[in-house]
Amino acid sequence: MNRWIVFKSIFTKTIIEMKRYIFDTISRLITLYIVFALLFFWARAIGWVAFQAGETLEGLVVGYMVWMLAMLAYQDMAWNISMEAKIGTLEQLFLSPAGFTWVNISFLLSRFLLNLAFTGVMLLLMMLTSGYWLHIDLVSLIPLIVLTISASYGFGFIMGGLALVFKRIQSSFQILQFIFIAFIAAPLSRFPWVKYLPLAMGNHLLRQVMVHGIRLWQLPPADLLTAAIVGAGYFLLGLAVFTRCTGVARNRGLLGQY
Amino acid sequence: MLKGSRVEQGRDIDRIEMNWPIYRLERSKDVHAKALEIENLTKVFTRRGRPPVTAVDNLNLVLKTGEVVGLLGPNGAGKTTIIKCVLGLVRPTDGKITVCGWDARRQHSKAIEHTSAVLEGARNIYWRMTPRENVRFFAGLQGHDYRAARGYLEELMERFSLADKADEPVLNLSTGMKQKVAVICALARQTSLVFLDEPTLGLDLETSLELRKILRDLARNDRRTIVVSSHDMDVIQDVCKRVVIIKEGRIVADDMVENLLAIFRTRAYRMVLSDGLSPAIREELERSVENFAFTYRGKHAETTFTLPSSEKLYHVIDLVRRGGALIESISQDEPDLEEAFLRIIREEAGALERPFLANSKAD
Repeated sequence: MNRWIVFKSIFTKTIIEMKRYIFDTISRLITLYIVFALLFFWARAIGWVAFQAGETLEGLVVGYMVWMLAMLAYQDMAWNISMEAKIGTLEQLFLSPAGFTWVNISFLLSRFLLNLAFTGVMLLLMMLTSGYWLHIDLVSLIPLIVLTISASYGFGFIMGGLALVFKRIQSSFQILQFIFIAFIAAPLSRFPWVKYLPLAMGNHLLRQVMVHGIRLWQLPPADLLTAAIVGAGYFLLGLAVFTRCTGVARNRGLLGQY
Repeated sequence: MLKGSRVEQGRDIDRIEMNWPIYRLERSKDVHAKALEIENLTKVFTRRGRPPVTAVDNLNLVLKTGEVVGLLGPNGAGKTTIIKCVLGLVRPTDGKITVCGWDARRQHSKAIEHTSAVLEGARNIYWRMTPRENVRFFAGLQGHDYRAARGYLEELMERFSLADKADEPVLNLSTGMKQKVAVICALARQTSLVFLDEPTLGLDLETSLELRKILRDLARNDRRTIVVSSHDMDVIQDVCKRVVIIKEGRIVADDMVENLLAIFRTRAYRMVLSDGLSPAIREELERSVENFAFTYRGKHAETTFTLPSSEKLYHVIDLVRRGGALIESISQDEPDLEEAFLRIIREEAGALERPFLANSKAD
């Protein structure tokens, strides 16, 4: 069983879908950009008193980037599973000898790469608009992004899995996106327990890297470990819930229903 | 309805069409004597606040490699549930399923290498993608490299008359073409066992006939084990060699299509009489035959029945003579699978069990 071929197929499909829905992608880009621009200029206008003591408006750019990545990641997972069930192809995906988990991971990785590209473009626009040129150190950035966003994928898995069993839950998908904002904006320095919330520590570390130019290995190991554990923890939790939900769906014959 | 025409065509499976895309049973593990073995399969769906539903009830079934089998039954009979249990989409309550030698529950990923399915027709494919993109995707999902499989896949699209529209989004194709794409996407997975669940559902008559012809050719020329599930007897009669009739989660009949038809053909009669018969004679007649029906058409009376054995016909004629009526015409009913099916499904199925015990399942 050649898993690489399965991944390639799913990646190709993801690219094709992006091309077919290019109009949606571009309008999304524009919307997100406008929201950022409004947010940024408003923040500057009111003399931004940062939630995080001592941080500047540059932190806002980083936070927005993290929120966008998290939102895209979450949406991908939560919506994709429901969408496949809705159009009727979910069962076919389940019939891959590579396993349903691998199919989902392939999808996750494919979308992640696309989301990175999307975010890269947005980041450029944000930096142009704000005038802040952040440190783009990919060697430090990519691993941190992966660690941070893993938690978001975990949430996506949870919601996607629950939607397989409880169809009504889809109406609450959107709410979680706003809860992400709370996670990112939560005052880490003031309340130590915040670091166990998803995205919080990751966002903090990314800010160190992008705003202050600190390299990955220069970051406090304890913080890195926390970010890793939080990210991996929520991801694995999500995967566990998803697997359980798939089992229930199979018991009740729900995979084909919408 | 194609009464008898399928039998007239002959089932000469040695006559392979040279331009039919060849499916290769290369891997030795594909060539397993039993494509599918189902033992004591039971599936009970529990619902909150409602009584549990037994969709499949202690079902046993064996399919040999290369067979073309129909699963026939009314809606809700359990056909789809059986298929989904084999595929692992529904977890059985009890029982063992073996696909090409692999345990479908414990070795699911191995079992799934050998089986594919069309489950909800055109809903099983991506409408935003073209047929070629869909075929390529599903072949890849099964682990087949497009470059290696390309020849076979292109031939398949030719065969199903999709070559012209291969690069058109499925969204823009007709219902019939969408259905064909769904079928070739299952075939593209190149598995030795293929399930087609209601392949002609929702198609108009012309498109249905066209698809049936293709499926008939497929059944005749392809070496795979094919299972067609339908509530439409015409499809099964047209495409399959063997039919398994399912009712309420149980098998009520399992025989060659020809045999089922033959049973009724030789012994199903239709008689038109000059007059009615007295109640006494009618009662005696009814006792002597099976599936008795009697109607008045103006002055004439018409009766149809099935004889439990051929020599009973003399007794019937004698009864009519005693009843004082003349036989205007007597003909053998040309049954089709629908009649056979309906008769079996009805409670009088008990009467047919004798012929089925007598007829061994021809291979």
